Amino acid sequence: MGRKKKKASKPWCWYCNREFDDEKILIQHQKAKHFKCHICHKKLYTGPGLSIHCMQVHKEAIDKVPNSLPNRSNIEIEIYGMEGIPPEDIKEHEKQKTGGGKGSDSDDDEPAAKKKATPALLGAGPSTVTPGILPTPMGPVPPGMYPGHMSMNPMMPPFMQPRMMMPGMRPLFPAASVPTSTPSKPTFPAYSNATISAPPTTSTSSGSSEAKENGEVKPPAANSCPLVTATGAGSKIVHPPEDVSLEEIRARTAKYRPKPKPDAPVAQPAPAPAMITPSTSQAEVAAHMSAAVAAAARQQHAAAAAAMRRPMMGAPMMGVMPQTMRVGVPVSMPPVMGMLPVMHQFNLMRPIQPGMLLPGGMMPMGAMFPGGMPGLPMMQPRFR
Amino acid sequence: MFNQLGGVSANPNKDLEVTSPPEDAVSSLEFSPPSVQQTFLIAGSWDCRVRCWEVEASGKTVPKAAQGMDGPILDVAWHDDGTKVFMASTDKSVKCWDLAANQTMQVAAHDAPVKACHWIKAPNYTCLMTASWDKTLKFWDTRSAVPSMTMNLSERCYCADVDYPLAAVGTADRAICLYTLEGKPAEFKRVESPLKHQHRCIAIFRDKKSKQPTGFALGSVEGRVAIQYVSPANPKDNFTFKCHRPPAAAGGYQDIYAVNDIAFHPAHGTLATVGSDGSFSFWDKDARTKLKSPEPLDQPLTKCAFNHTGQIFAYAVGYDWSKGYEHYNPAKKTYIYLRACYEDLKPRPS
Repeated sequence: MGRKKKKASKPWCWYCNREFDDEKILIQHQKAKHFKCHICHKKLYTGPGLSIHCMQVHKEAIDKVPNSLPNRSNIEIEIYGMEGIPPEDIKEHEKQKTGGGKGSDSDDDEPAAKKKATPALLGAGPSTVTPGILPTPMGPVPPGMYPGHMSMNPMMPPFMQPRMMMPGMRPLFPAASVPTSTPSKPTFPAYSNATISAPPTTSTSSGSSEAKENGEVKPPAANSCPLVTATGAGSKIVHPPEDVSLEEIRARTAKYRPKPKPDAPVAQPAPAPAMITPSTSQAEVAAHMSAAVAAAARQQHAAAAAAMRRPMMGAPMMGVMPQTMRVGVPVSMPPVMGMLPVMHQFNLMRPIQPGMLLPGGMMPMGAMFPGGMPGLPMMQPRFR
Repeated sequence: MFNQLGGVSANPNKDLEVTSPPEDAVSSLEFSPPSVQQTFLIAGSWDCRVRCWEVEASGKTVPKAAQGMDGPILDVAWHDDGTKVFMASTDKSVKCWDLAANQTMQVAAHDAPVKACHWIKAPNYTCLMTASWDKTLKFWDTRSAVPSMTMNLSERCYCADVDYPLAAVGTADRAICLYTLEGKPAEFKRVESPLKHQHRCIAIFRDKKSKQPTGFALGSVEGRVAIQYVSPANPKDNFTFKCHRPPAAAGGYQDIYAVNDIAFHPAHGTLATVGSDGSFSFWDKDARTKLKSPEPLDQPLTKCAFNHTGQIFAYAVGYDWSKGYEHYNPAKKTYIYLRACYEDLKPRPS
């Protein structure tokens, strides 16, 4: 598609991974969503600016940029529009955009009216913003003076310095400017509460780094939107951080694993493994009302149907249905993947991380599989 | 009848408590269909059991029977004749429970836990629809070990509803797929999600005049419900509204809770939502107003249901994992409450 190139170069917000058609709208977005003081609603220009404002005016410390993704909440990084974004994040974003995946049209997130409402204050882009009209206490600051000022700023960590060299025209100390006495209304009332999430495609890019933060590893592309995040000013969603249904999270807990069937290895009907080969599953997928019994399925049909005719209660009947034999396998056991190719996409089949699946510090893996390594040899007899 | 131990906070609305409640959170709650004279209530639970009560006219509940599966129950459904109940479990199977004989028989299987099951009664066929985290939707005639039809979903099923001739399935990738069940099940259309957060529950509603399914309400983890028409006469007919967001403490964060379940009133066409915040609310989607929001409870509400006449509203109280494993307090009991709701759900006079 010819548009892909263009999409890759769209301005995007480092804090929430949203894309914008125009950098000036991105800057408006950042001011409204990420740099707005939650107390007096004053819109600042940068994260550090917001932090200094809150500290000096309200005597409150802010440790995170509001409405940001968990791994992008650093208040100390100075980002203004597309300027100041760590180069590695830019690269990652570009890779994500060009590297396929359905392009989510993040523009939809914005009401049409919002896009048109471009205040006269801002010019065509950040490079044309005249410093003089920005409320810095020093008045216009020529771009060339940036490095000097920055090095004098004790608030800036030293690693920030190189980035500050960019010829941006960020206001220097917006936080120090006088706060407006009348609290401004939220710019987009309807959107002021948690309605903007990171666009699915772009947020996957942050998956790897987020995984590190949470101590969890997610299979790439298992979730289009890996985290439940992005709430509006002053709100938060009560949900585990991972964007997986509560039921799935709950079902991972040792307590809720389906009971292993004690007699399952014995009761396995011989043709059982056929049920889980990919070819069979494809056959099933292809089967329609009329062609219910596809040739590949016919054999198991007979076996399974015979099994089902028996009543399903009581111990001897356990596991008679070929499918049920997998019941005893904890859903999050990665070694099973080798044997159950049809399930390879299933989200719960993720690599086990210590402590991840079993909050509370229990390690039932060891108990269930005394071999220590929850490996194949222990499991195989169930499937034979 | 009333909960003596929990005091006021456990049952602030003085609703009728169902006797012998499940030992763990309720995952599914369904009243018997109109085909049976008495009113029965079934509830599937994380304690791996499905229980059945008879609800007497007085509101008294009598435990009738219970059946277990090998894993927690994720969904239950009634057969249209009211003699059988289907139960879907994380053990990747669905069983049919013959209530009269108190026997169960496996009728469906998936490669992963089965999130939803629904009985479909069409003029020319009947079948069981099951949707699973294995990303498939299957249709079973319950006598065969293989599904009569399998359809792929774009992702794991998170919620599903059926109201002949419409079926709606919401998936983990925030897609909604609609199916027409006329003649035989077939994909009808995929709808772009009106919501920006994880889908959690879906309920089909009917047109006020024609009494035919005409749209669905979709709830997300972000305290928001979307009312969506299958073929909206006017795009403005579709809208979303916020719910289950208790007011923020002064200066603090506002907590936004998941919408755990949505149910439409069978007579009035108004709806009820229950949330992780422990509250339930009644809404009139046509007037776009809240009808009533009774006192919140001290635990999340996991599920709700109306009986077929619309006289009784049942809601289940128990921990839904919304604050993670750490906040699970086994000392907090699960309850199911019944409430006379016919008046509360009358739509706003227009």
